[in-house]
Amino acid sequence: MHSVDSRWGHDAGTAAEPREEDRDLFSDPEAATLATTAVPAEGRMNAVSVLINTQTPLLQFPRAPRGRHAMWEVESNFSRLVEGEDYRFSPGGVSRMVYPLARRMLTEGVWSDVHWVSLNSHGPEMVRLPGGITLHNVTIQPEHLGGYGKAKEAIWSTVHGLNSPRSSRDLFWTDDYGEYTYYNRVTAELIRELDLAHDFDLFYIHDFQQLPIGQMLGTIKPKLFRWHIPFDSRKIPAQWRPLISTYLNSYDVVVVSSERYRGALRRFGHRGPVRRMYPCIDPAEYKRAGPDDIGAVTTKFGIGPNDTVVLVVARMDPAKAQDRVIGAVARLLPRFPRLRLVLVGNGSFTSASSGLGIPKSRTWRRHLEETAASRGVHDRVVFTGHVSQSELESLYERCAFTVLPSVREGFGLVVVESWLYHKPTVVSVRAGIADLVTDGENGLLFDPDRPRALDRQMLRLLRDSGPLSRKLGEAGHQTARLCTLDAAVRDEVRLSGELGEN
Amino acid sequence: MIDLVSDPWPLVYVGITLGVTALLAYVAKLLIWGMMRQSNPQITIAAQRLGVSIVWLVGGVVAVQELGVSIDVLLLVIGLLGVATIVALRQPLENFGAKYFADVYTPFKLGDTVRVGEHEGRVIEINAMSTVLLSKGDALVSLPNSAFLRQPVVNLTPQAWKEVVVPITLPGTMDLAAFENTMHRAIARMRVRLDRRYPPIFTVKSRTAQSTDLLLTVMVRRPEDRDPVLAEVNLRLTEAMEKAPASASRAASGASAVDPGH
Repeated sequence: MHSVDSRWGHDAGTAAEPREEDRDLFSDPEAATLATTAVPAEGRMNAVSVLINTQTPLLQFPRAPRGRHAMWEVESNFSRLVEGEDYRFSPGGVSRMVYPLARRMLTEGVWSDVHWVSLNSHGPEMVRLPGGITLHNVTIQPEHLGGYGKAKEAIWSTVHGLNSPRSSRDLFWTDDYGEYTYYNRVTAELIRELDLAHDFDLFYIHDFQQLPIGQMLGTIKPKLFRWHIPFDSRKIPAQWRPLISTYLNSYDVVVVSSERYRGALRRFGHRGPVRRMYPCIDPAEYKRAGPDDIGAVTTKFGIGPNDTVVLVVARMDPAKAQDRVIGAVARLLPRFPRLRLVLVGNGSFTSASSGLGIPKSRTWRRHLEETAASRGVHDRVVFTGHVSQSELESLYERCAFTVLPSVREGFGLVVVESWLYHKPTVVSVRAGIADLVTDGENGLLFDPDRPRALDRQMLRLLRDSGPLSRKLGEAGHQTARLCTLDAAVRDEVRLSGELGEN
Repeated sequence: MIDLVSDPWPLVYVGITLGVTALLAYVAKLLIWGMMRQSNPQITIAAQRLGVSIVWLVGGVVAVQELGVSIDVLLLVIGLLGVATIVALRQPLENFGAKYFADVYTPFKLGDTVRVGEHEGRVIEINAMSTVLLSKGDALVSLPNSAFLRQPVVNLTPQAWKEVVVPITLPGTMDLAAFENTMHRAIARMRVRLDRRYPPIFTVKSRTAQSTDLLLTVMVRRPEDRDPVLAEVNLRLTEAMEKAPASASRAASGASAVDPGH
């Protein structure tokens, strides 16, 4: 994980001549042109004040630091906090995308200031980050948090096809759903108070956990909702449709990550404006790993020099379907005895003790470990848990290819990460990013519901002596440009312009 | 006029009268609240205010009389002022009053298509004096609110009978999230009579430091469920308003939480 300063672009090392391995993965002339033309002049003319709302906070606070309680109660000055001790950045997910985007919109002068509201029962009420971002943490009592967590997990599982629509049709009448609306109302009330103080120009609401916020705010100012998870109307119980429609219609624009979700929203009956915008990563956050870094990480995780590393980067969650890769590895191992599966990731905010404390990641990891043991491949599967940014970079460099096995996936930015490192990738057709993949051109696609489909695609890469991997990696690297911060900033500016005109 | 310096007893009587009046006003408030538990809380609160005002008016008059002031002229002036006000502002008062009752009892809302007399159109505005319809020919039709109490209103919106909209006014100090949570649980218990595709939804119409105006919308399963559901919802509302705590959310806990600006 990068230090706070480097995330903010104040890394002391940036003034010095960069090492080869420190160069950005897109540090070529074309990328430089992309960066300088990301924001058209008109985007900078009327900077807007923005309220961002996500469930997962940018910074997670495991506990209040000793001796600083008075300040902790009300407001924290960011410079006094220590990363790793007082807080940590939420890995992956929505906040990992939103943070660089917000920073960039601020530095480009498109946004004038950003207030970011999220759930964070362990955090201080407010943290001011350098550069114009102020974090506001919503606190709700444990008796409400449990029900909220169950309701939002039920929604998540249903939308991802892990629950049958029939089994969860009455969710909106349960006490747990009452807690879900409670959390959203508390959040909406805080946003309303903040709006009275700051008079925001735009409300940017992220993901399904926050869906009711638009209706609850009741403001006629522009409200934008970004739906990050898959949208498949067949997975949504009929009993949910009127309420979801009411909530979606309370926004001026709904943004989805894939063309197929836009089509599904139309089939669902949504008549309001829908835009497709790809999620993004900031290539500047990723560095080339040097031999020493790669050596250290292979030693740490016991990866042999001749191992063929298959990398899966995903949190521990049934929807990520790492078990299917374990099955494929078990079947392919007799022919490729040096095969080594590396599973990177642990729980999300939902599973974290600093978050909702729902133990699903532990349960899923135990299931995966048991699966590996029962298939006799436990010594060929590495569970790394959470890794640092530099370790992640080394693993991308070291792997032969990556797999995104999810049974449902809103988008799949790990594929873009893989492409940054010119690595071939095998992608589930149920992931939003599959829209960008042409089988055999910039990646390999498989249907997670078809037995052995993953085996066949992995086999293509394992048999390949180089040409296919290089072709897929190079073409993927070009495709990754659609999902960079520059591309996202251009999309955001265009969208802001549309909202202003309407 | 009596000499209060040499005889202070009238002042004592005034004090006792005002004290008894305050007690009676409190009792009247409780009685009205108890009697109207199944009515809409907004109407109950209005009835309470009216009852308490009448008690205080009578108490005030008695207290003035204790001081030896002739109340005949006072009553005459109050009466004449009242009559003059009613005559001068009859129409606006009628519309204003009609709006107040229409909010609670008239089965239409913004966006519905209604027919009133010879006029038909979509309701696009409801203000204190009139309701504005947009006709099929794109004409704006402004109808005085009193028209909606005087003549039959036909709501042409498909399945309009399903929708039960209950206006609620909460004190500004009340914790809205806790109130909504309590009501959600209570209404979930009635779900056998409700259309399960439409869970209860609260919409904030307006708010000030003193109060928050909300609309609660639920959908009944059958037309005959409207009345019992409305009565039950009103009962639960009254209970929830009695129980709901004052706002403890960060949003209402003080300016420091919201950072007045950089």
